[in-house]
Parts: sequence; C-alpha cells; structure tokens
Amino acid sequence: MDVKVFQFNGCKKCFNESLLLKEGAKYKVEYVSDPKNWKGEKVDVSVITGYLLLGDLEHLQNIKNNSNKVIAYGDCTATGGVFALANQKGHDVTPLVNLIEDSNSVHGCLGEIEELQLAIEGKEIPKLKSLCQVCSRKATCDYLDSINRQIELEDSETCFNDLGFLCSGFTATECKEKCIDYNTPCRGCKPSIDRSGIRMMAMFGTLAGNIEIATEHNENGATDKLADEDDDVTRSLPDMVGNFFRFTLPTSGLPKGRIPSSGTLLEDVFIGRLIEEVPLIAGLLGGAKSISLTLKFIETYEKANQIEVSEQTKKYREELLQLEKELHDAIDKEDATKYKEITDNIRAIAGNMNLSNVFFGGFKSQINESDNFEDYKTHIFDVVEGTYKNGSVEYSIDSEGVIKEIKITEGL
Amino acid sequence: MSNCETPDDYVKERINNIVIFMCNECGQGSANTAGVARMAYDAAIRIIRVQCTGQVGPIQIMDALNNGADAVACVGCCLGACHFFNGNVISMHRIKLMKKVFKELGYSDQFVNQYTSRAAEGETAVGDFENIIERLTTAITEKGTIKDGC
Repeated sequence: MDVKVFQFNGCKKCFNESLLLKEGAKYKVEYVSDPKNWKGEKVDVSVITGYLLLGDLEHLQNIKNNSNKVIAYGDCTATGGVFALANQKGHDVTPLVNLIEDSNSVHGCLGEIEELQLAIEGKEIPKLKSLCQVCSRKATCDYLDSINRQIELEDSETCFNDLGFLCSGFTATECKEKCIDYNTPCRGCKPSIDRSGIRMMAMFGTLAGNIEIATEHNENGATDKLADEDDDVTRSLPDMVGNFFRFTLPTSGLPKGRIPSSGTLLEDVFIGRLIEEVPLIAGLLGGAKSISLTLKFIETYEKANQIEVSEQTKKYREELLQLEKELHDAIDKEDATKYKEITDNIRAIAGNMNLSNVFFGGFKSQINESDNFEDYKTHIFDVVEGTYKNGSVEYSIDSEGVIKEIKITEGL
Repeated sequence: MSNCETPDDYVKERINNIVIFMCNECGQGSANTAGVARMAYDAAIRIIRVQCTGQVGPIQIMDALNNGADAVACVGCCLGACHFFNGNVISMHRIKLMKKVFKELGYSDQFVNQYTSRAAEGETAVGDFENIIERLTTAITEKGTIKDGC
C-alpha cells in the first residue's frame, strides 16, 4: 500500500512519529515535508500532519484529488490543536474537516501510531473508555470551595477536579501517554465528544457552584442580577480559553477571536497563557526541539527567581537534552528503530513526548524506583511579575502570571 | 469607545432576536404576571421556557448565538429561592464563565446575561428585558455585534 505523509505547518512531532510506519515494512511510506511544491501522483492513502491555514486549501485539494483516502493525523490537523489558540488573536487555523470532505481523523497530541495504522488499513478505531473510567483517582463531584492553579503532589488519591485543578478527563478518552500518571491534569487532547471544551466548561461551572459570585441589585424592577465585575470565580481562572479550548478552539463553536495580533502566530499562541502552563505548551509545540525550548523557559524563570534546583534534577535535564540531540540524528537518517528507542528513553524521564513530567524546580513524579523522589521533587512556586530573558527566549508576565509579551528568536 | 460609526438606527436595526431562557417557576411566572397586568416589552424578546435555568448551559447558549440570536439571557428565581435546589446559582456560574470567555476572545461580555425575577411581580421580568436591551445597545455601540465587529 502506498502511503504518503505530508507535513504542513507547525511542529513536526506527528510527522516524526509517523517514521514508525516504516517498522515492519507493511506499507511503502514516503515523506513529503514540502507539500506546496509537491507535483502530484496517485497514492492510496495520504496522511496530513501539522496545522492548516485557509491558504493551504489549494494544496489540500491537490492531495485529495490524487488519493483514495485522506487521514488527518494529530490534533493540529484534526481539530486545530494547540496552534489554534492563535485564533483568539484573529488567525485562521482551520481543521482538515472544515477544508475538505470525507477525511478521517486520528486525534491526540501526539497522535497514536497504532490508531493511524488502523485508519490506514481501513479498520475502525475501537471504542475507547473515558479517561475517568481508567483513572485511579476517586471523584466525589462535590462543589468546590476554591480553584487552585498549581498542583500539590501530596494527594494522589482524590480526583483533580475535586482538588480544584482543571482536569479535562470528563470529556476525554483513555490514551497511551496519560498525563494524569505524571501528576498533570488531563489536557483534553483526545476528546470523546464533539465540542468537548464547551461541555467541560459547563461541567466546571457546576463544580464551582460553591464559590461566591458577585451579584448586583438592579433598580429597574429590583431583581438580583449577575454583575460584570470580577469575583473569585473569574480571578482564579485567568485563562479560560487556554484551559478549556487548548486543542479544540476552531471546532468548539465559539466565534473567532478579535484580540489584535501582537506578532507571529507562534507568539500569539503563548500570549495570554499562564506561567505554569508554559512548559506544557512549549512541550506541545516545540516539535523535535521541544525539550530544549521547554528547559530554556523553565531555567530562565528559575534563575531569575532563585528557585533551587537539585543536582539530580540537573542530571536528568542533561540526559533529556542529550536524548534530544540523538533524536535529531535518528530523524535525519529516517531510522525508525533508533527513533523508537530514543523516544522510549525520553518517555522514561519526561513522562510522555509532551513532557508532562518536566516542571519548574524539578519533576512531578518519580522517574526511577531506585532513587529518592525527594531529591528532585518539584514544589509550589511564587508567581513573580517581571521580564525574563535567556538568549533566544524572552518573556514578561504580569502579577497574575499571565504572559504579556514573548519573543522566541530561535529554537523552533 | 472605538472608532466605528454606530448611529442609533444602526444599533436598533441589529437588535432583532434576543433569546431568553426563562425558568418555569419564577421566570415564566413573572412574565405571566406581566402579561396579566398588560405591561409592554420590546418585540425583539423571544422567550423559551425551561424547567430550570440550571438546564441551560454554554452549548444551548452558543447554539442560539450561532443560529442568529443577538444576545442570550437566562431568567431564573431569586438567589436562594430556586424551586429545585440551586439551579439558578449553577446557571450563574456557567454564565460567569461564558462572559469571561467572551472577554478573552475580544467580544463584549453583554451577549450573555443572567437575571432573576419574582413570580408575583411582573415588573421584574419587564425590567430585566429593558435592562438587557439597554446593555446590548451599549455593547454594540462600543464593540459591534457578535457577527460583524467594527
């Protein structure tokens, strides 16, 4: 079977992952990293990766006309992905389903290669359980008294939502690289339902039912009414779009954002996000360079605010950077076996390819059973207003921890 | 104030459909009382009766807005007087979150609102309707409608 993998814009993580299709030599796989100059020839299956803009329509039509089947692989192509957060500032990142008809989707950031293989072979992807069904934490669904932003590692038995963290597990399916295994609430990259973000928001609105909200006396008819001023609910959620619509903004049914754009698409993705979210977002969109980009963000902040980092943490971070270099070599040589080996090593330290385990001040969960977790355990840090700069990365945050400006000169 | 030209007629022309979800108890009750007392309200108001405003969530609100509503509001019982348990408070929280999302996307937060009314007083419902139109007029003058920004 002839398979062609096309990489459009954005991080190349899914494109690189599709190297694993070569394993077992079941299909004849070819990689096209520049689909804009692709001449066009008949293929059985076209796999599209990367985020799409309206301007890519012409090239997508060309691919569609030449192939029997088109598959959107990964969240960026299937639902807009993390890059679609730039739509908040007026960009037009569009999922494949909105551009061409009759396409299949493999969700997930990173998309799972087993599901892609099933989709290529024309088999149905088995119906998966919801994430809450496989989660070991216990939920009570009691109303919350407060919403928390940074994870406390002490409690590993109670549901994240009960503890006041925003976990999208209610609307997600089970997956291979569970963030919840690494003390990170589910980020909702594999939704079990359409418009998952907006449904999760409704659910969270109910959960927050105990938190007092501002009401105002209305002279006109004398009723209570919801006031427009900030209260505990809105103050503790400074970034709603980034939390609930992290991967699904264009398909969520919300109108397109009207915030003026402040730079490139990549910078627009970061602006408005929270400081504790930044390592995770950098891990998502950094592609093959995600490790160095994430660590650069973290180390800049740690250095400026004198957050202590243990020797053991530094050792593991060095190891990750080394693995990233080896990963580049494997990708350049299109060596699938080597790629698998290295990514498995990265997963052993960072949790998954989105680096869920990496955080400010250390790691979120134990890496080796033989070492003492206290040596490299992360802890809650203070949000300090200011501008942080380290070589190619420069960003400034306000007193709430929201990113106001960002400059990434290299590393992507 | 932004620079877009929004004369009064232009704004009035753009307020045609305001969807109001009214709860079956106090909300619809006060609208009925207003009807008995022959109180007038704007023709743009379209009432949808629901059992409780706790039934209404972001999905229903976005469906209404995407299908041509200019604004959506929920009218429930007074705080602490929900005829079920706390449906009006839950609805308030959801709408508070919706407002925040609209603000983050650069829209006015007046396209969704939550009100309360009392079944025995028809003027509470009519007062709410007037307030919705007043706020929507200001919002459209400043930032444009949800469909066409300026």
